[in-house]
Amino acid sequence: MPVNSPPTAPIVDIRHVSKSFGALKALNNVSMSMSLGEKVVIIGPSGSGKSTLLRSINKLESVDSGTIIVDGQDINAPATDINRLRMELGMVFQSFNLFPHKTVLQNLTLAPIKLKGMGQAEADEMAMRLLDKVGIREKAHVFPAKLSGGQQQRVAIARALAMSPKIMLFDEPTSALDPEMIGEVLDVMVKLAKEGMTMAVVTHEMGFAREVADRVVFMDHGAIVEEGTPEHFFQNPEHERTKLFLSQIL
Amino acid sequence: MNEARTIDVGEGAAIPSRSDWGLFNAWTISITGAVGAILYLYFFQSTPYKRIAHYVADGIIITFQVTIMSILCACCIGLVVGLGRVSKNKAVNLAASTYVEVIRGIPLLVQLFYIYYALGRLLNVHDLTAAVIAMSVCYGAYMGEVFRAGITSIDKGQTEAARSLGFNTKQTMFLVILPQAWHTILPPVGNEFIALLKDTSLVSILAVSDLLRRGREISSESFLYFETYTLVALIYLVITLILSKGVSIMEARLSHYARQ
Ligand SMILES: Nc1ncnc2c1ncn2[C@@H]1O[C@H](COP(=O)(O)OP(=O)(O)OP(=O)(O)O)[C@@H](O)[C@H]1O
Ligand SMILES: [Mg+2]
Repeated sequence: MPVNSPPTAPIVDIRHVSKSFGALKALNNVSMSMSLGEKVVIIGPSGSGKSTLLRSINKLESVDSGTIIVDGQDINAPATDINRLRMELGMVFQSFNLFPHKTVLQNLTLAPIKLKGMGQAEADEMAMRLLDKVGIREKAHVFPAKLSGGQQQRVAIARALAMSPKIMLFDEPTSALDPEMIGEVLDVMVKLAKEGMTMAVVTHEMGFAREVADRVVFMDHGAIVEEGTPEHFFQNPEHERTKLFLSQIL
Repeated sequence: MNEARTIDVGEGAAIPSRSDWGLFNAWTISITGAVGAILYLYFFQSTPYKRIAHYVADGIIITFQVTIMSILCACCIGLVVGLGRVSKNKAVNLAASTYVEVIRGIPLLVQLFYIYYALGRLLNVHDLTAAVIAMSVCYGAYMGEVFRAGITSIDKGQTEAARSLGFNTKQTMFLVILPQAWHTILPPVGNEFIALLKDTSLVSILAVSDLLRRGREISSESFLYFETYTLVALIYLVITLILSKGVSIMEARLSHYARQ
């Protein structure tokens, strides 16, 4: 497995992106890029635009100006098939959002079968392998409502992985969890990172940022204030706002 | 400042609430009374009730036919209208909303006359078909609101999850949203079914031989107005009571399923 291949052309390139909700500027001229295999952790106070930035990468949020290039394709170009492009962008939400009318296994197989034309048997086998990986193989035939939060989130990660995405986006994946369940989800994410997955993670888990991040991005008021390696960040942050935020959260 | 309050007013047929399972609730009293009265009249007041009953019997079948065909068509129209009402396409949305607005603004009886005679004149359609179309067009608008409410009751995280996997809007709707909305949609559809069944009595004004029309025929022939309408009312009552029980049982089952 290639671990941190040297940066080539960025796989995600966000250039001068702005986005407003009414009078509120959620993103203010943000530029950021990620190379293949890179793990970027995005931190910042509530309302600083972290989710908006992450969600604009797969166009769940469409931006007002600027360009976003994913895997060589401009996501806003008329010729781009956004549904196709989204297959390469796995997303994990704070509130899991599993399909409650489907079993765990069906949650994983639905998209590969319908979107990639994968056969049932092949999809089932692939899904079981992924459930093994996130450690809940035995729950394959259970409905999501029967699972704990931590288990649901691990299924949600597996569901995103079932489409074999090139990039995984995580929006505060552990914020809705009871403290005792945070570890099991972070473990899965660390494992994924070690396998070389390209990841953008919005989180308040500084331990995870330290261990996994190649780069930490600090946002405030819709803008990127500071970015750098975890060492830089946690040992000598430059900006006052970064220092203040870190002192509050650590 | 006082907060605005909303009150919940039910449809005509009372749906027995689940806390109301006892023997002496409105539903048991009504059904026992109605069935008892029908049996009493039929067996102990055989003249004239037996004759009336036999005469109106096939009207019951027509009433059910009109109801079932209309509700099926109304559900199809309702699905389309409901999807239109949640559509981001402005033209589609406007068309669906206008349809609902217009239909809800015209009394059902007037619509019936209108569609019935318009269709009859222009296309020469069969009486029963015209009646079914008229009922469906009207109830389709109400059903559209039921579908819209069902669709919007599903958390928007479901749509986001589906879209982020790569599903398009249509796939998201049919694979993820509607299968879940079904549970919230079914009970109100049951209620509409009951309301529609009662409203089919209006088609008796057209040339459709439903329960009420059969009653009108025999009463004008035999002058037994009071006896006929007593029986007709009791029959409607029994049917709607049974159906409303069915809806409440279904509702209980569905909410049980939802808790699983
Ligand atoms: N759909 C929306 N409509 C209106 N305002 C929105 C919407 N989504 C986000 N906002 C606003 O945009 C700003 C940025 O929101 P965003 O969700 O990106 O912040 P965040 O950094 O993810 O915060 P949190 O840590 O609370 O999740 C906030 O002020 C928020 O209230
Ligand atoms: Mg957020």
